[in-house]
Amino acid sequence: MNGPGRTPNRLPRPPGEYAALERAWRKPAGWRVLTAVNNTRIGRLYLATAFGFFLFAGILALAMRLQLAVPGNDLLQPATYNQFFTMHGTVMMFLFAIPMVEAIAVFLLPGMLGARDLPFPRLSAYAYWAYAFGGAGFIVTLAFGLAPDGGWFMYPPLTGKEYSPGLNADFWLLGIGFIEISAIAGAVELIIGILFTRTPGMTLARMPVFAWSMLVVAAMVVFAFPPLIAGTALLELERAYDWPFFIAARGGDPVLWQHLFWFFGHPEVYIIFLPAAGMASSMLPALVQTPLVARRAVIASLVAVGSLSFALWMHHMFTAGLGQLETTLVSAASMAIAIPTAVQVFAWIATLWRGRVQFNAPTLFILGFLLVFVLGGLTGVMVAAVPFDWQAHDSYFIVAHLHYVLVGGLVFPMFAGAYFWMPLFNGHRMSEALARWVFGLVFAGTNVAFFPMHISGLLGMPRRVYTYGSEMGWTALNLASTVGALLLAGGVALFTLDLVRTLRRPQKAHNNPWRASSLEWLPQDEYATRSQPEVRSAEPLWRQALLVEQVASGMHWLPGSVTGKRETLVTGWRDARPRHLLVLPGDSWLPFLCALGTAGFFLLMTMQQAVAAWLFGALAIVTLVAWLWRADRPLAAGAAFVAEGIALPVGAKGTASHSWWATWVLVVVDAAIFASLAFTLLHLSMRLDTCPPPGAHLPGAPWPWLQATLMAASSVLAWWSGRRAGQWWPMLAAGGCLVAAFAADLGAHRYAGLAPSRDAWSAAVAALLAYEGLHVAVLAPAVVFVAARGKLREASRATLDNTILLWHCAVGQALAGLVLLQML
Amino acid sequence: MTPPLQSVLSPAGPDGVLLSRFSWLLFAVGAAIFLVVATLVLASVVRKVRRSQSRRLVIVGGLLFPVPLLAALMGWSGWQAAQLTWPFSGTRIHVTVTAHMWWWEVRYRDTATGREAVLANELRLPVGERVYLALTSEDVLHAFWVPALAGKADMVPGRVHGLTLHAAAPGRYRGQCAEYCGTQHAAMAFDVVAVAPQEFDTWLAGQALMVTPPSLSGAALHRGREVFLAARCGACHTVRGVAEGGTLGPDLTHVASRSHLAAGALPFSRAALIGWIANPQAAKPGARMPPATLAPEELQALATWLETLR
Amino acid sequence: MRFGKTHDKARAGLLTVILPLGLCACQPDKPSPPATDGGEARRGQLLLAQFQCGSCHTIPGVEAARGRAAPSLAEYGLRSYTAGRWPNQQANLMRWIAAPHSMDPATLMPDMGVSAEEARHMAAYLYSLK
Repeated sequence: MNGPGRTPNRLPRPPGEYAALERAWRKPAGWRVLTAVNNTRIGRLYLATAFGFFLFAGILALAMRLQLAVPGNDLLQPATYNQFFTMHGTVMMFLFAIPMVEAIAVFLLPGMLGARDLPFPRLSAYAYWAYAFGGAGFIVTLAFGLAPDGGWFMYPPLTGKEYSPGLNADFWLLGIGFIEISAIAGAVELIIGILFTRTPGMTLARMPVFAWSMLVVAAMVVFAFPPLIAGTALLELERAYDWPFFIAARGGDPVLWQHLFWFFGHPEVYIIFLPAAGMASSMLPALVQTPLVARRAVIASLVAVGSLSFALWMHHMFTAGLGQLETTLVSAASMAIAIPTAVQVFAWIATLWRGRVQFNAPTLFILGFLLVFVLGGLTGVMVAAVPFDWQAHDSYFIVAHLHYVLVGGLVFPMFAGAYFWMPLFNGHRMSEALARWVFGLVFAGTNVAFFPMHISGLLGMPRRVYTYGSEMGWTALNLASTVGALLLAGGVALFTLDLVRTLRRPQKAHNNPWRASSLEWLPQDEYATRSQPEVRSAEPLWRQALLVEQVASGMHWLPGSVTGKRETLVTGWRDARPRHLLVLPGDSWLPFLCALGTAGFFLLMTMQQAVAAWLFGALAIVTLVAWLWRADRPLAAGAAFVAEGIALPVGAKGTASHSWWATWVLVVVDAAIFASLAFTLLHLSMRLDTCPPPGAHLPGAPWPWLQATLMAASSVLAWWSGRRAGQWWPMLAAGGCLVAAFAADLGAHRYAGLAPSRDAWSAAVAALLAYEGLHVAVLAPAVVFVAARGKLREASRATLDNTILLWHCAVGQALAGLVLLQML
Repeated sequence: MTPPLQSVLSPAGPDGVLLSRFSWLLFAVGAAIFLVVATLVLASVVRKVRRSQSRRLVIVGGLLFPVPLLAALMGWSGWQAAQLTWPFSGTRIHVTVTAHMWWWEVRYRDTATGREAVLANELRLPVGERVYLALTSEDVLHAFWVPALAGKADMVPGRVHGLTLHAAAPGRYRGQCAEYCGTQHAAMAFDVVAVAPQEFDTWLAGQALMVTPPSLSGAALHRGREVFLAARCGACHTVRGVAEGGTLGPDLTHVASRSHLAAGALPFSRAALIGWIANPQAAKPGARMPPATLAPEELQALATWLETLR
Repeated sequence: MRFGKTHDKARAGLLTVILPLGLCACQPDKPSPPATDGGEARRGQLLLAQFQCGSCHTIPGVEAARGRAAPSLAEYGLRSYTAGRWPNQQANLMRWIAAPHSMDPATLMPDMGVSAEEARHMAAYLYSLK
């Protein structure tokens, strides 16, 4: 490292260096905009799409409020109203809230971390397009009367085939599927990006609080989404093949769905809130011109909230007949989570006290956030008390609570963030004059709409009712809520107009209007910053006076493009010292086409149009193979000069490779899905008098040993092929063993008479078997691919290594499955 | 202003009173905390503080204040929950309530006399006596909620959840399904009527009786009964003594003793009855009852007869 | 003619690919459903739910229709017989729905009070099930 005061590079910069950088990162034009993979491009699309879904779901809510404005109203038929409220909840939670926080991270985070882009640009492009196509298809169902109508958490048996015979519920399951893909992909990007691609000098302690919140959120996604993935798969299996997981008459249990869904659902709301909290922690210091008070406590609180949120899921089920012990524990945990939340709230208040508060748009919305969210949090503590929840659950009191925490906890910070970070788009700020009106309407609208709902809930109004009688005493409260909703809508409309107006203004430099301290406010272009900044504090733009000029003139790290392609630095996760140069893929049609194929395949399959579905499926498979074919190529240069006298290797292998760690994230997701399926089996077993239930048998003694041996052998062979890269036979032999093991397993169960439709326990066993089969179906072609592509070379072994890792995971699960079944 | 029909804050039994008071306490504490926090937030606009004071705020507000308060709340909440009447089936009266889409099947059993009665959409309770409810569902998830008397309990197919009701004062309390159960979830309500114990026993005895054939002088009554049988209403509805075995719809043996029709959707009156039978889809679209293809004269006769089923 | 080993292998390979495809094309002709006049399938679908036919029969597309006590009505439009005995034509089906005991006094299917008009709509829906 150069001495103090010295920058990594010196002036003058060589001619052509800047041009090469610009060329590598050039924005595609015309039709080719669809090929963009740069986070600034994808981030903008993501933000716009998520905001569009917000407006759509908001219009549905307005229609609902108009229906409920007077008793006995017939503006909406009951069937229509039920589709509207289901879509409102589903679109808001799955197509707006999660994608919006992901979009903000995709757009903002690399800039904040001083990186040039996220580590897997094509993956984020794929995740975005899959979300866009899937979401668009999903909302179109409303026009055909095929929208789901079982509520946003779709409890069976109402959503089973018997009581929801149409395609409505299948479309919900499909829509959720796309969000699952998007979210997992996002989690991989965020974890790898935050841990590996921070700019040199940005240790974890110096990282912006928003980045910390996204790291926690990404880890939460990894553990929270798998039960949802498992649950939605099980419901679809029940609907399509009559595997009765949730049908009580055949040994199933509706409460099983509730466990699986809410184990996801509760962390989900913190997945939505924590990024907003991180945003507030990152905006507030700039707005009041003082560092965040108790910064370390805030970061610790983020981690505490993220972890503790996994212990609360049963508080959505207090009336479902749980035992006293679990009820008490969950109630205590639900109250306890108020403590780290309070730490953050008081840290923000303390920061406000320490600094100078000015009444600008972002500050107004942060003040609004504090008031609305705290009120929602307090009603949350109220419903954490079990006796009170026994009255409040499923009433409008809960509707009030959830809107206060979600509107307060996400929407207000979102508006604040829009006003704050708007200059990053084209240099202009939104109108301060209009912002006061927007804030007034939104703040007043929120309170007038949702506060009366606390009262109507305690006056006995249940949730999800399309009308009510005039004798109930709820009329005035509902009318008030409708007026509030109209005010809120007015505020949102005004904001949208100002947003469009501001975005159409010509580009100019922003000059850091808030005098913020974090790196996203350095001058940025398609290539992010001209050079990657060397950071020495948590508030670099405040503490390092010459940083802006130095970075812009190329005096910091990686001022150009060494290989002529897009690059960013990989740094150590603890010490933030540069490790190697990561070459990033450029724009490509493949993610767009693959997403189109994926979306089309699942959409058309749901509509039972098999031929058309498989055409899209073929598109998806072909583009996926092409994509993987081009990945992991041996790189031309062996070493690169990223600073004066400092050369780094280009690319990395083994445990230094970022893709190795990404594969580990997938391994955890995979294991968590397996655990959810195992939980399903355990839960259903516990409800049986005899296990296995009458009529069901497990394969006899020799079979499990045979399978275990074959599985273990395949793993050993896979490991061997890793040691002996260049020889194709160990990998093929491993593939053969794997397929044989699965075939033996399948055959043994069929021979023992496994009939998944007969009872839920058998269905659960079949589900585990099917999941094993899914692994084999992915790994067997992977063997062929790896051998054919010539991936078995030392130089480019990332694909091989990752495949082997997934292999061990699959084998581990198969063995665990065998043990589980034999022990029960 | 009519008194609230279904309010948590207008309790009518010891459990209801406990829950109501608990709600007020939570509200009061919550409001106080909110006012303090709001004041601190708004005060920040004018104040400027030294660093150590601001740290202190975080420690006090984030830890020193919430931890004991939440611990106290947890303790108090547990204590209050323990004071509530736990489901206890050693009571004299057992009621099995089975939820259907979108009505309530109610079966009484008086363990003292062995008397049993089947009705629908209404419960009656003897004042001052605990009554055990066994709650289940025939189809999808529902929930039983009568706010004036107790918290709610989910009704899950394949499971039986217990709930004990205890009314302290006579009166009529409304309840409603509180778990979304499909198209007409909004119109699935029931009445709980608390009456003096002797009145209750008389009522129960009456509910257990079959319908006796009307005297020959009631021509219209005969006609009504004939229409009931000819239109095959008995295929879904049981009227003990007239048509047995219909389990797909509510038991109508004593339908005129109830205050509402169609699970609270309509008040019981002749006009409502005729309108409901002629076209149930008008009042409750999606209800699993077909429109009756009857002549007006037949409808009138049928209504006349049904009104006698008290 | 003489065929070398490779020639045989090629032919075998070709057959293994073509034959299954060919078999896919050889589906028995599906019978067309009987004619219905005047009945509205959508109304019939709602009526089947309102008369709670699903408490005994499994009927695709109808709510709460997963009963196992009576035969499933899936693909009813392709059936040759009503109730296993009478030719599956609109008149027979309507009469069966409206008054099953008039056709078979020993049947367990109850008389639900379905009018002729209602039976027409129900038949229209059942015949749309293929």
